[in-house]
Amino acid sequence: MFSEELKAFRRLGFRHVLLQALNFASVIASGLMIWKGLGLLTNSESPIVVVLSGSMEPAFYRGDLLFLTNPVSERYHTGDITVYKIPGADIPIVHRVLETHDAKSRGPLPYNQRLLTKGDNNDVNDIELYRGLDYLERKHIVGKVRGFLPYIGYVTIAMNDFPQLKYALLGGLGLMALLQRE
Amino acid sequence: MHTVYSRINNISALFSSCVMGLLAAIALSSMVLAVFEAPVDGGTVQVNGLKVVHGKGRQYKHEHALVNFEIDADLTPLFNWNTKQLFLYLDAEYTNAKGVQNAVVIWDRIVRRKEDAKIHIDGRQKYAFRDVTGFRDASATYTLRYNLMPHVGALTYGTAGGTNTSVPFPPLINHV
Repeated sequence: MFSEELKAFRRLGFRHVLLQALNFASVIASGLMIWKGLGLLTNSESPIVVVLSGSMEPAFYRGDLLFLTNPVSERYHTGDITVYKIPGADIPIVHRVLETHDAKSRGPLPYNQRLLTKGDNNDVNDIELYRGLDYLERKHIVGKVRGFLPYIGYVTIAMNDFPQLKYALLGGLGLMALLQRE
Repeated sequence: MHTVYSRINNISALFSSCVMGLLAAIALSSMVLAVFEAPVDGGTVQVNGLKVVHGKGRQYKHEHALVNFEIDADLTPLFNWNTKQLFLYLDAEYTNAKGVQNAVVIWDRIVRRKEDAKIHIDGRQKYAFRDVTGFRDASATYTLRYNLMPHVGALTYGTAGGTNTSVPFPPLINHV
């Protein structure tokens, strides 16, 4: 099946392979740069997230893609949809703000904000998810949901559910990048 | 040049950029529509009954406010082709004796169809409205807000009405 490719591989020689490897590396590097640059712009450790659970249905379903921002001076309001991460829990949670409490503070912000959240599809608020915390604080928040793209993120869920798919895809991409002829 | 791979690549690239362009057009058009739309601010919120009682939580003693309210609002203009749902919520905002500014959602509703967007509610709060410091001498404003969630694009927020003046909390009732 690959005999033709292998022949081409021999014909093109070592330099060509190196060049292709360089191209491949630059594609990966620019992807990483865009991701980290977005993170800097939005002040969020992960500016794009995929919805993993159904607790915000019917607003968000599994696999929907969300775009976040988290400006330093941002005050959160009730009704905002936040993504937060509790220390010790490895999966960030996408839920809506139910209560905000702003105490005056002498820190970098004029107020010290505490938040309580709830999933639209849940009957009760999130206190049970906070692992002993009474409220969320600003440091737990990853960002506020600004934009929404349906279904696109399902690819990543599929790759998590079926790891073989991930390896097949990565291997295929790598092979294509190395064997591609201009 | 004309290998199967390059054909697949070209077709899928064209297809995905067309889909992306279409989605962007939908998102932008609904944002433009929202600019030209008359703002929805004709709604009214009226607090008909307010009571403050003792509450006992998991860890702390606190005070509970019990609110009876009436909401009238027409949100049908918010529905266009890119409206997936409206998240409506009644927000109570007050500053307590310790100077903490609070905003608490006491009621919410998800509206998914234009036919259901004429709202008339005469009811009670859905979520606990409590304060550890207490509601003494405080007064709250009640505002009906909405979050417009599109099929694709940016989430927008707005106000659909509220109490014109702040409503003072009554003194605490000791025996319920």
